[in-house]
Amino acid sequence: MGLLTILKKMKHKEREMRLLMLGLDNAGKTTILKKFNGEDVSTISPTLGFNIKTLEHRGFKLNIWDVGGQKSLRSYWRNYFESTDGLVWVVDSADRLRLDDCKQELSALLLEERLAGATLLVFANKQDLPGALSKEAIREAMGLDDIKTHHWCIIGCSAVTGENLLSGVDWLLDDIAARVFTAD
Amino acid sequence: MDAQDVNQGNNNNNDDDGGGGGIRIPERLLRREQARQEDAERRRKAKEKQSVTEENSEFFIVAFNRDREAVEELMAACSGSDRDADAQTLDRAAAQTQELQKFLNDSVMFLAQYELRQAQASLQRLQTSLAEKRDEVLPKKKFAFRSRTRAKEPVPDAVGPPPVPGPGPGPATAPDGVKADVTPHAEQCGFSDMAAAVLTKTSEEIDKQDVLLSHLTDCRVRLYGSPCTVHIKHVRGCEILCGPVTGSVFVDHCSDSTLAVACQQLRTHHATATRVYLHVTSRAIVEDCSGVGFAPFTWSYPTLDRDFEASGLDRARNNWDQVDDFNWLAAGTPSPNWAVIAEEDRRTTWDL
Repeated sequence: MGLLTILKKMKHKEREMRLLMLGLDNAGKTTILKKFNGEDVSTISPTLGFNIKTLEHRGFKLNIWDVGGQKSLRSYWRNYFESTDGLVWVVDSADRLRLDDCKQELSALLLEERLAGATLLVFANKQDLPGALSKEAIREAMGLDDIKTHHWCIIGCSAVTGENLLSGVDWLLDDIAARVFTAD
Repeated sequence: MDAQDVNQGNNNNNDDDGGGGGIRIPERLLRREQARQEDAERRRKAKEKQSVTEENSEFFIVAFNRDREAVEELMAACSGSDRDADAQTLDRAAAQTQELQKFLNDSVMFLAQYELRQAQASLQRLQTSLAEKRDEVLPKKKFAFRSRTRAKEPVPDAVGPPPVPGPGPGPATAPDGVKADVTPHAEQCGFSDMAAAVLTKTSEEIDKQDVLLSHLTDCRVRLYGSPCTVHIKHVRGCEILCGPVTGSVFVDHCSDSTLAVACQQLRTHHATATRVYLHVTSRAIVEDCSGVGFAPFTWSYPTLDRDFEASGLDRARNNWDQVDDFNWLAAGTPSPNWAVIAEEDRRTTWDL
């Protein structure tokens, strides 16, 4: 067994990832986090500050940071960029009027040097609402196809019903794992 | 374990045979010898599997040179006749060079210093020649003070993505043609661009829809029913009464208005001189607001009880006076941006 193999194996054992969840206010970030963690989502208040959850999933230890999306908090987002493996960008698919805002904030984030290596997962949330835009419409409206600097993927989901949350996170983990923990 | 078992068996057999058949043993011995050889073979294979072929400097050199030649071929293929095709080829070459760099980085562990330096140097040469080729085939326009053409100068397609993902100018923003896609669609439940009107929605119309009220002036809105979420944007001088909302109510740019709403969350932005009669089961927040008053939800209509049930809101829990102001984080001192409406000033009749 080569030395490199041993080192890879050691790294493999840790299998710890840091995910940062951002998006405009009222996008459903906290609801996604709580639903994913199997908690009650009916009593969630607008996030004044941030939430951290550490959970185990598929043998990975995930540190998920959910930072409030209010305008007055967005300037603090940068404090959470360091050593982020994956960025989860949450979009309120029913909020057509702020999609432009949403696009601007995301493209500003992607210029951040400290997020340069992070994988991007876009959750087109609130697909359970009758007025929600499809993930294809969101993808187009936000110009996701122009993103060349990051690995990205958009997934339509509903935090309230839990639909597609798992498949989104699974994609994110696979992409990060392929980069960080070289498979045997 | 196996070997030992075999050994014991053999000993036993030996004892059984006594001294009689010294020459007939070989068959058993042969079998044992065969088992031993198979075992050794198995172990050798297992060991081979563990020593990774990729971690071998000969393998590295061969693979590295092969990939490097592939990149050189790509570069040679750029004739300068077809700009777009060349740009694509060069992008591919750049991507492959990047992969080569990664391969080298991954292999640092087992390479000798000399090999590492050699590979590093050849990669350096490759990158230089790639840059030269790019300049030659796709020359950047020379910089000049020409105000009219300057806006068009950075053509991202021609330059291609930066060789190393990192900061730098982001990809071109999409043309603004997507706007049409984003405007409220026909089936959107709600009212937009109205003035001085009385607007109502029945329980059947609302039926778990997401409701949007935008650009209303001096309107009186009644939403009898239980929406899923409500967005209220750019309203002035309005009176908006709304039945129990399952999720959140989002208010942005609202002035001189009266709202009555029951919901799980209320988010209020850019509101001035607005009174909110509220039932909220988690929290209400204000941001960039001033002169917002809060009082308990007192509006009632015939099917309110049924709608409360449909919304799933807890009637017993109302945090209407616990408002978080995102612009006022000082604990202890109350925010100047909102206040509780004094009891004698509260509205008691809601008739149209």
